[in-house]
Amino acid sequence: MGAPEEGPREELRQRFPDPAALAGALDDVDYLADNGLATALFLALRLPQPILLEGEAGVGKTEAAKALARVLDTPLFRLQCYEGIDAGEALYEWNHQRQLLGIRLAEMHEDSLDESDLFSGRYLLRRPLLQAIEHPGPRPAVLLLDEIDRADAEFEAFTFELLAEAAVTIPELGTIRALHPPIVVLTSNRTRDLHDALTRRCIYHWIDYPPAERIARIVRRKVPGSAAPIALEAAAAITRLRALDLVKPPGIAEAIDWASALDVLGTEHLDARAVEQTWGAVLKNREDLAAAKERGAAWLAGGGHG
Amino acid sequence: MAETALRRLEPAELAAALVAALHRAGAGGSPERAVWLAQALRLVPPTTRASLYWTCRIVLVSGKDQLPVFDAVFAAVFGEYDDDAELMGARGEKNAPQPAQRPGIRRTPAGEGAAPAVQPGPAAPPAPAPPAAGSGVEGPDREAILLTASAEERLHTTSFAELTEDEQAQLRLLIGRLRLAAPVRQSRRTRPTARTAGRLDLRRTARAARRTGSDPVRLVFARRRRQPRRLVMLCDVSGSMEAFTRAYLTVLQAAVASAKAEAFVFATRLTRLTRQLAMHDPDQALARAAAGAEDWSGGTRLADGLRSFIDAHGRRGTARGAVVVIFSDGWAQDDPADVAAQMARLRRLAFRIIWVNPRKAAPGYQPLAGGMAAALPFCDAFVSGHSYDALAELASAIRSGAAAGPATATRRIL
Repeated sequence: MGAPEEGPREELRQRFPDPAALAGALDDVDYLADNGLATALFLALRLPQPILLEGEAGVGKTEAAKALARVLDTPLFRLQCYEGIDAGEALYEWNHQRQLLGIRLAEMHEDSLDESDLFSGRYLLRRPLLQAIEHPGPRPAVLLLDEIDRADAEFEAFTFELLAEAAVTIPELGTIRALHPPIVVLTSNRTRDLHDALTRRCIYHWIDYPPAERIARIVRRKVPGSAAPIALEAAAAITRLRALDLVKPPGIAEAIDWASALDVLGTEHLDARAVEQTWGAVLKNREDLAAAKERGAAWLAGGGHG
Repeated sequence: MAETALRRLEPAELAAALVAALHRAGAGGSPERAVWLAQALRLVPPTTRASLYWTCRIVLVSGKDQLPVFDAVFAAVFGEYDDDAELMGARGEKNAPQPAQRPGIRRTPAGEGAAPAVQPGPAAPPAPAPPAAGSGVEGPDREAILLTASAEERLHTTSFAELTEDEQAQLRLLIGRLRLAAPVRQSRRTRPTARTAGRLDLRRTARAARRTGSDPVRLVFARRRRQPRRLVMLCDVSGSMEAFTRAYLTVLQAAVASAKAEAFVFATRLTRLTRQLAMHDPDQALARAAAGAEDWSGGTRLADGLRSFIDAHGRRGTARGAVVVIFSDGWAQDDPADVAAQMARLRRLAFRIIWVNPRKAAPGYQPLAGGMAAALPFCDAFVSGHSYDALAELASAIRSGAAAGPATATRRIL
């Protein structure tokens, strides 16, 4: 994988001597990582190995990669995977239209146009994988392969081949080798089993759903207006809801939505009335709504008296 | 207590020992990972139990399924949990992976039948129950007329419950010949087509134009590719289905190996068997499957099985637009209303639902079992699948867009 660049490596080592330092830095960019996640990202950074993040929807998998990029102050290249994604959309493609236009313009202006002009970087459409590999530094870029399980198995294999080499060969241009191999973060929703070849090459972290106090802290970071008591009350209510048998249990995103809604409404304390007004911010499925309403808004708001 | 001992251990030794223990317990563990772990332990010195736990888990585990085994091995190697608040907080959460079975190894993944040697005391895994072995060996006496028919013919129409071991083996070959293919859907990818029926593909046209002096002489048309829909098979392996389980597992195996289906079995809980069945030798695949699931021939919890399928897999995408085949006799312990609610959810996700009930072939059968009656309105096709011929009917029900013949259930559009 090429000669490792000692300078940036050393800088990373000094900035993040241990997982706690990384957790602190993540905290500074408003991402609260627990011990497990901080260790996982730390190892991804320092080993360095690609990391596969799994967890329920809305526990902050994508957000973790974004926060890592902010901490390192490097660009984040995000590739949203979907079924049928191919190299043209992930790696690079020649801009044929522009090439034709270039030829026509050259004819009109009677310029001389060389083939190598047409196949130069000017006519190359760089997609996220190539962008991440070409990133000039000084620190490695963060490459996020979001929802890799949605892509085809063949694409998965292709991507990994590429990342292991950290180099791309474009026949017309030659081989582009990464100066700073990107830090690769993959997320998966487990719609299918990932290929062994992929799981073998990644370190892995399962992000658990956080307890109420952490949700409250996250909410207060994201919704500056929300006061401490109401964030905690909303987080506790969400935790209570998750104990019900719901089709779509509310997650962190719902907690944030809810706190914002309560903030907009100027609510100071979560009570039955406030809950009645804001059901829609928390529960987004008719059956869930019916199940929660059966328990009553008062139960959700206060727990005890209802 | 372990703390002082840990500092004295060399990272490399520790890594190698832990990886070996994991490997014996059947939860992955490769030399490559041991190297990573040794590196990782240098980066994150294991000063506390929690940091050691996280480092080892992140590097060594490669999937959620392995977490219970990993936790058990870790506990066995480094002693039980002392009350490390953070660890317990992280793992005691409601949605922590398979929380009920944290302390011991409950699953013994395929191919690793032996008990892990590292287990000193409490965490000895129960040996996986054998599959429905020898079912139908002492079946009813054969009628004279069947004896005269050729063996294969007999296999075609005899109920699976009455087959002998040898015949089961032959049947497996027959089932392997069944073509299981799901109906197609339009994919997002396109392919060029000669006809002008498709959409004009500007990008490919422009590329082709480079050959003709940038004049688009040849217009390239594209039409969307067709792809088979996902096929999902859910098989009831409870006691009441025992006689048919073997034959159906063979169908599942054939579907996984040839049609890339997803396979699940359920009795009291749901187990995904796709991985265990994904090999071309049926005998080996079935042996692995037998070790993979643990509640063979238990009671049936139909609604629970469906719910955990939809929650953990179906809703995330496995069942969306898929053809879902359910093998069950509908004799369940749970409330029919629950079954109906879960079937309604599945109906909203799936493209088609096909219910295979081996008891349907019995003369005078009426779908009166509570679960079955509740589920039927949500099914697109209701087939018997009790014999080889009936399985051929199933194959055509899977393939067809329309429902299959007179066996069709009433269909309600929701």
